[in-house]
Amino acid sequence: MDEYALGVLTNIGLFSFVALSAYLLLVAGELSFGQQAFFGVGAYAAGIATAMLGCSLALAMLIAALLGSLAAVLVGLPTLRLRGLYFAMATLAAAEMFRILFELLHWQVQVEGEPVGPDGTQGFRGIRWIFERGVQPEEFLAMVWVLLAAVLVLFFMVERSKLGATLRALGEDPALAGALGIDVVRFKLGVAAASGALAALGGALFAHHNTYIEPRNFDIMLGVHSLAYALIGGLGTALGPLLGVVFDLGFLEASRLLQEYRMIVFGGLVALLLAWRPRGILDERVVHWLKARFFLH
Amino acid sequence: MQGAMLTVRELVTAYGKIEALKGVSLDVAAGSITCLLGPNGAGKTTLMMTIAGVLKPRRGSIRLMDREIAGEQPDSIVRHGIALVPENRLVFPSMSVLENLQAGAYQRKDPIEKDLHNVFARFPRLKERASQQAGTLSGGEQQMLAVGRALMSRPRLLLMDEPSLGLAPLVVEEIFRTIAELHRDGTTIFLVEQNAHMALKVAQHFFLMEQGRVSFSGNPGSLAEDEVIRRAYLGSAR
Amino acid sequence: MALLADLAQNTLDGLALGASYALLALGFTLIFGVLRRANLAYGPAIMLGAYAAAWTSMNFGAGLLILAVVCIAVAMLAGAYVERLCFAPHRGGAAATAMVASFALWMQLEELATLALPRHLYAFPALYEGAPLQLGPLLVRVDGVLILVITAIICFLLWRVLYATRFGIAVRAVIDDPRAAGLAGINVRTTFMLVFALASAIGGLAGFLIAAADEQVTPMLGMWSTLKGMLAMMLGGLGSLPGALLGGLALGLLEAHAHWFLGPQLRDFLAYLLLFVLLALRPPWMNTRSAS
Repeated sequence: MDEYALGVLTNIGLFSFVALSAYLLLVAGELSFGQQAFFGVGAYAAGIATAMLGCSLALAMLIAALLGSLAAVLVGLPTLRLRGLYFAMATLAAAEMFRILFELLHWQVQVEGEPVGPDGTQGFRGIRWIFERGVQPEEFLAMVWVLLAAVLVLFFMVERSKLGATLRALGEDPALAGALGIDVVRFKLGVAAASGALAALGGALFAHHNTYIEPRNFDIMLGVHSLAYALIGGLGTALGPLLGVVFDLGFLEASRLLQEYRMIVFGGLVALLLAWRPRGILDERVVHWLKARFFLH
Repeated sequence: MQGAMLTVRELVTAYGKIEALKGVSLDVAAGSITCLLGPNGAGKTTLMMTIAGVLKPRRGSIRLMDREIAGEQPDSIVRHGIALVPENRLVFPSMSVLENLQAGAYQRKDPIEKDLHNVFARFPRLKERASQQAGTLSGGEQQMLAVGRALMSRPRLLLMDEPSLGLAPLVVEEIFRTIAELHRDGTTIFLVEQNAHMALKVAQHFFLMEQGRVSFSGNPGSLAEDEVIRRAYLGSAR
Repeated sequence: MALLADLAQNTLDGLALGASYALLALGFTLIFGVLRRANLAYGPAIMLGAYAAAWTSMNFGAGLLILAVVCIAVAMLAGAYVERLCFAPHRGGAAATAMVASFALWMQLEELATLALPRHLYAFPALYEGAPLQLGPLLVRVDGVLILVITAIICFLLWRVLYATRFGIAVRAVIDDPRAAGLAGINVRTTFMLVFALASAIGGLAGFLIAAADEQVTPMLGMWSTLKGMLAMMLGGLGSLPGALLGGLALGLLEAHAHWFLGPQLRDFLAYLLLFVLLALRPPWMNTRSAS
């Protein structure tokens, strides 16, 4: 497989993380335009950890996930009682604030005589972990997908459990959920923390795959894309957001002819698709039907 | 049926899988006050909303005189001459009393000063508060405003959904006096009421609705009043 | 004294900037007030209008008035396209779906514009070709004053339309309660379409004024207009038209002062911080209606 194809597959894998993070919030009933902030936090944190502090990738990813969680909770706490568009705008404002902070971040250390580190709008060069360890594109791809598979298994397990049912109940009718004794506040913060960690993991992988990141990578476009992936792919299952990512990034690959008009075609297709299937391709009804048909779960 | 203003046949309205109206059939005689009674959840409001065009029926027919109107848009229904005074009034809170009335006359192409004059004559309290925001009116005043707004379209058939809901007894009496007056002036009225006692005092004919169907039809006096009231509030014994 | 002069100058500049923000916010708020949805394709529709005007200017050398008409007309056409595709089909459903659909069209419209005019920057005829006026120590840009005056006129006209016409009653009724509006005999679907057209027209005018004041159009215009429109709308209280005006002016003032004293990045940061804090504290003026 050529390097371009490997790159596309890797990107599909790691952008699935941020799509899943938006999906998790959607299922719990919240619309977030800001997951790109935590993707960015994870990218910068992991990049700093490996390129500047000499950590292993595993440790870097752990740090990324923790910081991503923390950031998400920081944003989630003051905005707990907001609903609908108010919440969405708050997440957007928060994400833009993070992006500006990335633009203002200047911190470099000398590594083998070269300055390495975030340099404001110039970005963060030299996240060279894959070169230093001689990691081949196939190996990185495998790593991304193994991690993604583990996350998906986690999602499936949660879906079948009481936790999953509670989450969906919270999304459908928070007032009812509260009346049934569910601690809505604790749940929402938990969901925020999990979604922040997810997005951050994706960002960490992104940073190491690209070896270079800049604040522009984490703008509102990414945030709305993540949301779109979850909504197009379907809110019935964690495979939905994946489908959404494949639809966009895979579509790009399949239509090199149309590349110039990609946005026009893709944009129009998405609008039409949503007009036809408002809860996405793999919405709850379809998933129910599939499960019943094939006796899954 | 001769002389029927409104004819409903086998009307079915559903919310997703749940059928709220399971095949409702009834007639409202022209020039009458007809009353719809029944326990909560029987589907009375659903029926009103379906006739008014807010809800679309799955099956069945609604005829206004000779015209089939089932499934039409609400503004179309108003054009045909039906106006609904909805449950909970639903006045426009940020608009003044006068503007609420003007909104009610939206479909009218002719001058409306006479109708405004008539509404204010009927409801002098509204005239006092003509430029006041509707959201600041009391419950009784909002009810009068909702009725006035509906009257502005000069309806042939006035639908009223629970006009006495949440109002003090004196105000309720006033509302029913108004209903009687409107009837005397020739308007056909189809009225949903929880307050069966008051409703039966003014109605010429009533229907009892239970669990999405009409379970009884008659004139006040055809059933003993306490029997009617019992079934209106509690439903019939199984 | 220099500080006072700076403050005064920034206030003047901020008001002019705020006027264009106010127009953007008004259009955004009209759509939101009536449809309860945010239209993410709002900015790009405006950008398409501005690009069409730029193209007309380059190929025909047309005068400002014609360019304004082109800009407004194309913005309205694009707006109608967005309304039909993103908002009409999702009337009863979730707001999120309509918004994401509008985002999809955002991408589409933006790409259309940049394909037609691929350069990073296009010149646009100036709104006013003279030097700024000197008023004591203050520099008053004439185009800024023009924008303020035009905005004031639009606000006045909008006010008259909403409070002195039959259409205005329909719009305000639908904003208050779409269901009750239908019951009163108002055609809610037609009202939606007309309000969308009106909002697109106002947005188109805003886009023209901004392009002419900046003397350029860039591909960033789309996203920028949407963000500023949303920010100003939320600052002034979601769904309130006077709020949109005040929010726009306030945003302009904030940005002018912050830019002067703190630089462009902190300027943007402060605007977002203000919004975030306001949302977190939810002062009474922001809760005009539910937004889900």
